[in-house]
Amino acid sequence: MERRVVITACSAITPIGYGKDSIIESLQQGKSGVKPLRDDGLLTERIHSKVFGTVDYPIDYGFARKDTKTMGPVSYYACKVAGDVLTESGLSQDFIRSGRLGVSFSSTHGSPTVQRNIYKTFFNEDKSKFSAIGAVDYLKSMVHTTAVNITRMFGITGRVVASSTACTTSSQSMGFAYEMVKFGMQDAMIAGGADEYDTTTVAVFDNLLACSVDYNDTPECTPRPFDRNRDGLVVGEGGAAVLLEEFEHARARGAVILGEVIGFSCNNNGGDLILPNLDGITSTLKLALADAQIEAGDVDFISAHATATKMGDVIESQAIDAVYGGSPWVLGLKSYMGHTMGTCGAIELILSLYMMEQGFLAPTLNLEHVDERCAMLRHVREVTETRTGTSAIQNFAFGGVNTCLIITDGRE
Amino acid sequence: MTRDELQKKIVTILVDEFEFENPGLSDNLRDDHGFDSIDAIELLAKIEEMLGFQISRKEKEKAMSIRTINDILDYIETLQAAHTS
Repeated sequence: MERRVVITACSAITPIGYGKDSIIESLQQGKSGVKPLRDDGLLTERIHSKVFGTVDYPIDYGFARKDTKTMGPVSYYACKVAGDVLTESGLSQDFIRSGRLGVSFSSTHGSPTVQRNIYKTFFNEDKSKFSAIGAVDYLKSMVHTTAVNITRMFGITGRVVASSTACTTSSQSMGFAYEMVKFGMQDAMIAGGADEYDTTTVAVFDNLLACSVDYNDTPECTPRPFDRNRDGLVVGEGGAAVLLEEFEHARARGAVILGEVIGFSCNNNGGDLILPNLDGITSTLKLALADAQIEAGDVDFISAHATATKMGDVIESQAIDAVYGGSPWVLGLKSYMGHTMGTCGAIELILSLYMMEQGFLAPTLNLEHVDERCAMLRHVREVTETRTGTSAIQNFAFGGVNTCLIITDGRE
Repeated sequence: MTRDELQKKIVTILVDEFEFENPGLSDNLRDDHGFDSIDAIELLAKIEEMLGFQISRKEKEKAMSIRTINDILDYIETLQAAHTS
């Protein structure tokens, strides 16, 4: 059984805004969400990179304590966007609790804030605080904390998938959800990812010399995907969710169809866990086209992973060139908000949907002088009014995991 | 600590940190205030902190039969008595 899978709701909390209007405004006006790194009293002094893609505006969560007692900061983002998606979808309570709606959601670490508090207690001289490490800390920080806090808050009884694969976390969440619905295991899935403000992630990339350090005094000037003066990635935070629903189910209830997932691929480089791999990435892009049963020429634009690392952007450019040539538009959305880690795939898919609906493409920010090794691509350099109907969203992760999702705008 | 002082402390914790509304001493914690097993573990940690000594595994297991605020107060008084004897 193979069924069509449509997108009937979406929501994103990002460093450039929460909700469609605010995000579109930022994209059209070239607003960056990269801000100075906040001092967390632990590592900030030692970290060379002093920038972070920050959600610095207040969010009215309105959650009750009965729900928040098992939630770390990451689950606040997750439950907020999942709740938005359920509200926007108009799904009935009967369906939500039917077992035919599942959740495919995760984060990079669970909740690093909570984990840090656990370790602080562990290494505290005052051993009497030991009992402060309780079941709740595990529930707040386990890898599937976002997924099951969503099921708990909304009474969802279907399948739970919580695939945590660093930067491909939410891409896999959406891809696996797509397959759940496509092959009839579930009729709808809430899918996405979230990651909270976390300096330990910055420290890891900083020590790997992969973080941006040259623009600490001008955070909005970094990251710089495909630019010859790029100097690394910027870590960010956020949460994003989509509702993937079987087409006939959505049509029967009169749902607004925002888009359709027509293809997904996921593979592994089968070797080095850090370095980008041209063969692995090229293969992923081809597999996605094959799954979608379309030709390279059918894709209007590519949302590239484009983290602005020195090697990553070059390898990705070569892979795009090998599969697509110079025909589709290419843009790097991380230039607006940094790398939101486990959230990035879902945020980038939602922003791609917005751009398709609104008939424009947002330029890659800070792309002033294209690196000659990336110059064979058709980069979006300014806000471009254009009608697009098919997009590929590419993401690659530590561990050698590669993903590609192909979506259409859902117009019949 | 007198029973009245203890009651004041526990009720304050339940109102401020567990969002109890108008708690009565004989209310059923679960049915009337949605107090569940996670809350019980959290409250035990707070009681331990308040008493300033470690509650043994056996004593913690006894807390699982607590149903009301009065039960909590009885439980703490028993712990205090055992610890000072």
